[in-house]
Amino acid sequence: MSPTTTAERAELRMMARELARRELIPRAASLDAGGQDALHECWRLLVELGLDRALLSEQHGGVELSVLDLLVTIEELAVGDGGIAMCVLLCNAALATLGDEQLAEVPWGARWVLVPATPEVEVTVSGGRLDGRLACALGAHGAHGLVVLLDGPAPVAWAVDAGAAGSKLERDLAQLGLRAAPAASVELTGVACAPAADGSDGYDTAISAASALALLRAGTAAIAHGIARRAYEMALEYAHARQQGGVAIVEHDAVSDMLSAMAVRLACWPGIAADHGSEIDQAQALAVKIAATDAAVASTTDAVQVFGGTGYMVETGIEKLMRDAKYCQLFPEPNWVAHDELMRIERAGRGAARARST
Amino acid sequence: MTSSTAERSLSERFPRLAAGRSPIGGGRLDVRELERLRVRARGFAEAHVRPRALEIDRRTGEDPGWFDWDLVRAGAEAGMLSFLIPKPAGGTGGMATQAAVVMEELCAACPGIALIFGAHALGISPLLLGGPSQWDGVLAELVASERSGEPQLMACAITEPEAGTDVEDPDLLRRARITSHARRVPGGFRLNATKRFISNGSVARWITVLMATDPRRPAETWTCFLVDTRSEGFAVSRVEHKMGQRACPAAELTFDEVFVPDERIVGREGDGAAATMIVLACSRPPVGAIATGIARGAYERVLGWLEEDRAARGLLERQHVQLALAGMEEEIHLARQVYMDAATELDRRALGGVMSHRGVRALGHVPAGVRGRAPVRGWLASDRARDATVALLHRTTSERAVTRSLALSSMAKARGGDVAMRVTGAALELVGLRAGPVRTELEKLWRDAKLTQIYEGTNQLNRLEVYRGLCRGETIGCLPPLRPIHLDADGDAHPNGRARAHPDADALRHASVDADGGRS
Repeated sequence: MSPTTTAERAELRMMARELARRELIPRAASLDAGGQDALHECWRLLVELGLDRALLSEQHGGVELSVLDLLVTIEELAVGDGGIAMCVLLCNAALATLGDEQLAEVPWGARWVLVPATPEVEVTVSGGRLDGRLACALGAHGAHGLVVLLDGPAPVAWAVDAGAAGSKLERDLAQLGLRAAPAASVELTGVACAPAADGSDGYDTAISAASALALLRAGTAAIAHGIARRAYEMALEYAHARQQGGVAIVEHDAVSDMLSAMAVRLACWPGIAADHGSEIDQAQALAVKIAATDAAVASTTDAVQVFGGTGYMVETGIEKLMRDAKYCQLFPEPNWVAHDELMRIERAGRGAARARST
Repeated sequence: MTSSTAERSLSERFPRLAAGRSPIGGGRLDVRELERLRVRARGFAEAHVRPRALEIDRRTGEDPGWFDWDLVRAGAEAGMLSFLIPKPAGGTGGMATQAAVVMEELCAACPGIALIFGAHALGISPLLLGGPSQWDGVLAELVASERSGEPQLMACAITEPEAGTDVEDPDLLRRARITSHARRVPGGFRLNATKRFISNGSVARWITVLMATDPRRPAETWTCFLVDTRSEGFAVSRVEHKMGQRACPAAELTFDEVFVPDERIVGREGDGAAATMIVLACSRPPVGAIATGIARGAYERVLGWLEEDRAARGLLERQHVQLALAGMEEEIHLARQVYMDAATELDRRALGGVMSHRGVRALGHVPAGVRGRAPVRGWLASDRARDATVALLHRTTSERAVTRSLALSSMAKARGGDVAMRVTGAALELVGLRAGPVRTELEKLWRDAKLTQIYEGTNQLNRLEVYRGLCRGETIGCLPPLRPIHLDADGDAHPNGRARAHPDADALRHASVDADGGRS
C-alpha cells in the first residue's frame, strides 16, 4: 500500500463527499426502503471508482488505499447513506482477507461481505466444511461471496461462495437499520469452504483475519461518525428554519442545548490511527467503535427530538439516521460485548508483561 | 411465561396501594375495582394485542392507511373504549388513574395498538370537561356503538402544520403561526384548517378540534368544536408513514368550510386554551404509563429470552447482564410511581371535586330519558349551563391545583419517555443482532418508544412545565377564561410573559376551597 500525502487524502475525502451529496443522499430513502435498483446503481458507481476493492493492489484491480484512507472515505459515504458505507466496508474487509488465487476468481464488480461469527456457538469448521446458522448477517443478501470470520484469540477466515451447495441465505425482512446493506439469515450445512486469512505469516493476504476484525470495528466507528455528522447538519438546518413562539427554534435553549451536545460529540471524535497505514490496534478499534457508536445513537436521537413530530415521520429522513446509528452500536458485536473484549485485551497485555518481567 | 416475568398485581407494583381499598380517583373507585380493570386489560392484551402486534406493524409499514377494525371490535368487547365515559352516559366513569393502568398493560404488548384506544380517550377528554351537557350526545352514542359491536372511534385535533408545541402552551400560542380559523356564521361556525399528526384522524367518527375564532388572538379565542367526520368539507388529506406506533394512523386532516352548529361547541367559545391545558394534565399521566408499559414490555421480553433461549445460555451468570436488568427494573418501578402520583393527584385533588360534586352526581341519577326531554336538553345546551360548568370548576378546584397537577403529569410523561428509550435501547443491546424473533420485537418497541419523548408536548416543553409548576411554584392561568394579554413589540407577553389567571377567577371560586386546591 502506498502512503498517502495529506493533499491526496483531502482530495479523496472531497471526492467521497461529493459522491455522497450527489448520488447517495438523493437515493437514501429508496435505499432504506430496500430498493434493489438503488443499491445496484450506487454499487456500480462505487465499483467504477474502485472503492469495492480499495485496499487491494492494482494487480487485483484495486486502488491500493491505506486503511486510514479507506476509513476516511467510508465516513464520507456514511454521510450520504450508512448502509452503502457498510457495504463498502464489508466488501473491502472480505476481499482483503482473500489470497491471490481466490481474488483472481472474484469477478469485477462482485459484492462480497465479511461475516463475523462465534466459533463453536454459531459456526463450526470440520474437514474444510462449515456448519451453522447466522442471523442478521449484514450485507449478505444478494452478495456474491461471504468470508466467515471466526472470532477468538486467533481469528481465522473462511471463504464461501454465496451459491455453494448447502448454503441457504434468506433476506432478513425485519432489519431495522443500515438497510442498504441488506441482511440475511445464513444457514450453512456442510458447505465447502476455502481458508482465507488465518493470521499466519506465510499466508499472503492484504490484511490478517485479526486486522479484518479491527477494520470492521474501526469502519463501523467511521460510519457512525458520518451518520452523526449528517444528523447534526439536518437538525441545525431545521432548527434555523422552524419557528416556534415567533422565533426560530434554534433560539430556544431547549433546542440549542441538544445541538450543542451534538457538536461537542462530533468534536470529540478521536479519529483512528494505524501503524504504517494498515494495522489498527485492536484495543483502539474497540474503544473508538464504542465511543463513536454511542455518540451517534445519542446525536441521532437528539436530532429526531429537534425535529419533533416531523422527525418521527419517515419522509423526513432523520429517523432513518437513528435506526442506522443503532445498528452500528450492535455491529459487529453489541457495545457491552465490545467493552468486555476491550478489558480482555487489557488483561492479556498485563499478563504478558508480567510474564516477560519474570 | 417464566416465574420472573409472571404477572404482577397492582399491589405489587404500587406497594402503597397494598391496603386493598385505598380510595383513589376522587374517592369513587377502590383498588380492587382498579385491579379488575387491569386484569381485563391484560387479558385483552394477551389474547388480541401481542399476537397481532408484529403483523400489524409490518402491514402498516407497507400501507400506513391500513387499519385493523377487528382489533377495535375485540377491544370494544373488553370495554376498552368506554372506561373513561361517565356512568350516566353508560361508561364506567374512569379517570386518569384508570387510563394509566390500562395503558401500561396494553403498551407492554403493543404501544401502537394501545394508542388507538389512548387517542380515542384523548378525543373524549374535552367532552368530559363539557360536563353533563355532553352525556347524552356523542358520549352515549359511543357507548351504544361499543355495545352494538360496531364501535366508533374518536380523535382530538390540535397540532397544525406550523404549530406543534406552540399549541400546547397558551404563551406560545399567542405568538404561534396559527392558520386555522373558525368563522362565525348564523347558527354556528365554519371551520377552515389543516391539522397534522392526528392519531386516529383517518378512522375517527367524531373529532374534537381546537382552533381559533380569531387567528390574531389565538389564545383568547381558542375553541373546542365537536366535528362529525361525515360533514361536508372534511377530508383526510394523508396518512403519515411513521417510525413506530404504526397500528394507530396519524393523519393530516383538512377542514374546508366545515359547518359546526352552536350546540357542538364543547364548553364555551374562547375557553379552548384552558381546556387544552387541563386535557394535557389528564393525558400526560397515561402517556407516562404508555412509556412505562413499553419499557416493561422490553424488560419482560429480554428477561424471557435470557431465561429460555439456548443462544442466551450463560448470559444470566454475567454481572453485566444482572446489573443491566436491575437497572431496568429500577427505572420501570420509579417511572410507574411517578405516573401513579400524577394520575392520583389529578383525579383526587385537581379534578376529582368536579366529577364527584353532589350536583353532578344528582344529575347523573336523573334517567337519560328525562334528561333528553326538550326543556332539560335545551337548558343543558344553554350558555347558562356552560357558565355553570365553568363556575363549578372554579368552585371545586384552583389554578394552583391544576398547575401542580400539570407539572406532575409533565414529570411523569418526560420521565417515562426517557425510561422507555433507555430500557428498550439497553434491551436491544443485550440481545444484539443475532437473537432471532425477540430482536424484532425489541426493535419495534425501541421505534415505538421514541414517540413518547415527542407527543403530548416534547419532553423539553414538559420539563419547563415542571420548572414553572414545581420549581418556581407558579400558578398558571389554566382555568377558563384566560385573561387577554397584550404583547409588546417583540411579541413578549406581559406581565412576566406568562398566562395569568383571569381577574374574576377568584370571585368564581368558592370560598371553601383552600389555597392548595383541596376542599376544606
